[in-house]
Amino acid sequence: MNRTKGAIALLLAWIAVLAAVGWYVNRDLVVGADLRLFLPSATTPAQRLLLEEIGEGPASRVLVIAMSGAPPEVLADTSRAFVAALAQSKSFRIVANGELSFDAIPDALLPYRYLLSATLDHDTLDAKYLHEQLQARARDLASPAGAMLEPLLPRDPTLEILKLLQSWQPVQEPNRQFDVWFDRQGKRALLIAETIAPAFDPDRQRAALDELQRTFKQVAPAGRMQLTVSGAGTFSVLMEGRTRGEAQALGMAATVGMIVLLLVAYRRVGHVIISALPLASAGIAGLFAVSVLFGEVHGITLAFGFTLIGVAQDYPMHLLSHQQPGRSPLHIVRELWPTLATGVASTCIAYATFLFSGVVGLAQLACFTVTALGVAGLTTRFLLPRLLATSGRDYGQSPFLGRLWRGIANLPAPRWAAALLAAASVAIVVFTPGPLWENDLSKLTPLPRDLLEQDQELRAQLGTPDLRYLLVIEAESVAAALARLENLDPKLQEIKSQGAISGYDHAARYLPTAQTQLARQKKLPEAAALQATLQQALQETPFRVDVFEPFLQDVQQARTLPPLMPDALRNSPLGTSLDMLLTQRENKITALVTFTGVNDPQALQQLANAADSKALLLDLKDASESLVAKQRTHLLWSLTVAAVLLIGVIAFALRNRTRVLRVLTPMALTTLLLVAALHGAGVPMTLFHLIALILAAGLGLDYALFFEHAADDPSEQGRTLHAVLVCSISTLMVFALLAMSSLPVLRAIGVTVSMGVVLNFVLALLLTRERSAVHP
Amino acid sequence: MAILALLPTTAQCDALDTQALIRRLAKPAPASIAFAEIRFSPLLQQPLVVTGDLGYNGPAVLDRHVTRPYREDTEIRGESVKVRREGEPARSFALKRAPELQGLLTAFTALLAGNQADIEKQFTIAASGDEEIWRLVLTPVDVRVRKRVQQIEIDGRGSAPRCFAIVNSNEGASVMLLGPAAQTELPQPLTREWITRYCGARQ
Repeated sequence: MNRTKGAIALLLAWIAVLAAVGWYVNRDLVVGADLRLFLPSATTPAQRLLLEEIGEGPASRVLVIAMSGAPPEVLADTSRAFVAALAQSKSFRIVANGELSFDAIPDALLPYRYLLSATLDHDTLDAKYLHEQLQARARDLASPAGAMLEPLLPRDPTLEILKLLQSWQPVQEPNRQFDVWFDRQGKRALLIAETIAPAFDPDRQRAALDELQRTFKQVAPAGRMQLTVSGAGTFSVLMEGRTRGEAQALGMAATVGMIVLLLVAYRRVGHVIISALPLASAGIAGLFAVSVLFGEVHGITLAFGFTLIGVAQDYPMHLLSHQQPGRSPLHIVRELWPTLATGVASTCIAYATFLFSGVVGLAQLACFTVTALGVAGLTTRFLLPRLLATSGRDYGQSPFLGRLWRGIANLPAPRWAAALLAAASVAIVVFTPGPLWENDLSKLTPLPRDLLEQDQELRAQLGTPDLRYLLVIEAESVAAALARLENLDPKLQEIKSQGAISGYDHAARYLPTAQTQLARQKKLPEAAALQATLQQALQETPFRVDVFEPFLQDVQQARTLPPLMPDALRNSPLGTSLDMLLTQRENKITALVTFTGVNDPQALQQLANAADSKALLLDLKDASESLVAKQRTHLLWSLTVAAVLLIGVIAFALRNRTRVLRVLTPMALTTLLLVAALHGAGVPMTLFHLIALILAAGLGLDYALFFEHAADDPSEQGRTLHAVLVCSISTLMVFALLAMSSLPVLRAIGVTVSMGVVLNFVLALLLTRERSAVHP
Repeated sequence: MAILALLPTTAQCDALDTQALIRRLAKPAPASIAFAEIRFSPLLQQPLVVTGDLGYNGPAVLDRHVTRPYREDTEIRGESVKVRREGEPARSFALKRAPELQGLLTAFTALLAGNQADIEKQFTIAASGDEEIWRLVLTPVDVRVRKRVQQIEIDGRGSAPRCFAIVNSNEGASVMLLGPAAQTELPQPLTREWITRYCGARQ
């Protein structure tokens, strides 16, 4: 093979540039795993709240832990030891197993118990009350609980601490055995752990999860005990690992397959190597663009993006397959270029619509694809031909291809077949029962279903509140928010007693307003008076008169304390609950009222509508569905615009109405058939199916354009058939690999595109040939 | 001279066989024992005294009925403890939170079952005295439990325990006088020394 010096220099230069940019990209590449990037962006307050709850809310940082595989007493012991071992952990704010431990309240908070507890609302610390309490304590001391309470008594003879701890238990108490949380069947011990790291920081989440596993190994007795951890943090770690692993495996398999295919098709190792260059350029350019514009590449974009390369590989293949003896590659590529460019342009237009979809993950995908395909096309046009020598071989002349073409040409294909297929598809879409589109937000995540279900089940066991209805109160300050909540409380009590709800929870239940705290504070007697009262109360009790000094001191301190604010409670057992119920964003406070067991949403709506409530009832299911639907509408409109542009581009390139129709029909028909197939199979379509449909349409357009271009010349027909055959087999191979992925999203795309490739190939072939123009 | 050999031997010469003793203490379930519990505490001017009876219905099943000076029933079933006092709602908690109670349960039920092995899982046993008047001192094996319960002292005569004392680490103690000893007249003021003497007295 002749290679000019210039060609070799170009080759080396190209490789060098690739290596340099590749090294740079690799060094700076950050693979993100934030699942929110594939969620739609919010437009209404309800949607915004929903996304905030999912993403940054404390609820997203709470991991649910289950221990199983041993008798309940052993599980309870392990649960306690686990919590004790993690008490000093730097990765977790709180690890709770339901134990009411007096040590859980920080010392600094203890004097506040008189302001937080409701006791002073209806009792005063007078002689009668204190005497009753002391009598009861004396009996407690003689009872089996005595030794447990003994250390507390000097400081807290009225047991306010105990009352507080009991009122802080969740409204819907999970099942308790041996003093710790268990599931309803009593087989698994349940715990919660709130991480300090946000849910979407996989590295720190992984460190936290590792710590949980290590601690478990330390405290669990040897045996078959199992630890299950579930939550947004575990999901993001899992996803990151899986997508990375699968992307690698896929890339490997696809590369091997591609090499084999190219060798079989072109029988020249040199071609295989050279055709890899536009591909490598496309991949690196795509990564570079996304890295620069977005700062990171999402794992899913990476995985999907690489399979897209199966499409970019088409361009060098077209060039290689169209070589003829006696014509230099530069000539050939100049002839092919209009068709090639149209193909590239139309696919890029379709993907460019994703840039405006409002979903960051999709925008990344669009950026990657457009850049990659553009670079692939341009390098094929301008750089690749200079590396190829004039070929002595015409791939289109193979007898096999000739037979294939004649066989296809002789197939009957009445014009009305297309119309029939189209009508049948529309009928399937219209008449098959079931939703066409997937509206459930939870089904749009790329997570495997069984993990999500396990998570929901564990959370249900722990009695976490109803995740559908929320009352939202927005206020300018914590005090205002708490005041509104306190005002709302009696009405909530009312509908609870009417049975409209089973229970409710809000921040004011834990943290009274400053007014209430001050009112209670006023009722605390001053030092000398309390001393005298205590002396009186101590008469006829068996207690020594001098042991309650710590009690007197605590009350005096409580008289001078400033009202408690939410920040101070952050590290108490209340911390997690309070965080979820009262959030501060910029200069706005959002307070939530959560419910358990909503039986009558109407009553809730009426409550919210009442003039002085100033509360907004949120139906999260509604909000999430509207979010999804809105995004989809937006996207479909963008796609319509893209379709119009596409038709315009093709019309401009071909300038003949029949030709334009002939090129567009296979693609349109395939899309219709794919939609019918999915719907008929009972698969509701998601965003990812949409991406796949667009990709398949782009391919179909490519094939149709090339078959159309080859219309009359038999040797061109042969070469085109060779090119499109190789392209479609390579694309099919790549997407069939993707269809074997364990991630539902990638699987959806793989299956759809694989079907699309086959259908497109067949239809393009059938619909673009001119029967009268076939020569034997 | 040979007659000397027939004279009754003194207490020091009788070896105390711990195992035999514990086996002798065994009682078949169900068993009921009257008790008078005396609670000493640094918080109290004088010790609290309650009387009632203990019901033993099998391993890890203990009932404590207080009849004077007020009514209170405690049920221990496995890991959970339920306390009910007249005029008050029932309260329950886990046995693990009250090592003293755990000690009581283990030692008591194991003794009633005559099961030394069970006791030795949680306590080391030191025996002293002779067959007539003996004392068993149980020290908890677990360091964490030892922080709350220093030791359990069981004094007895023959094949019946007389006193069952749980000594806490902070100068508190809870002494149960069992069986016929429950009816003993208690002097006023009641002191630890008197109790110790009473429990260890020869008679």
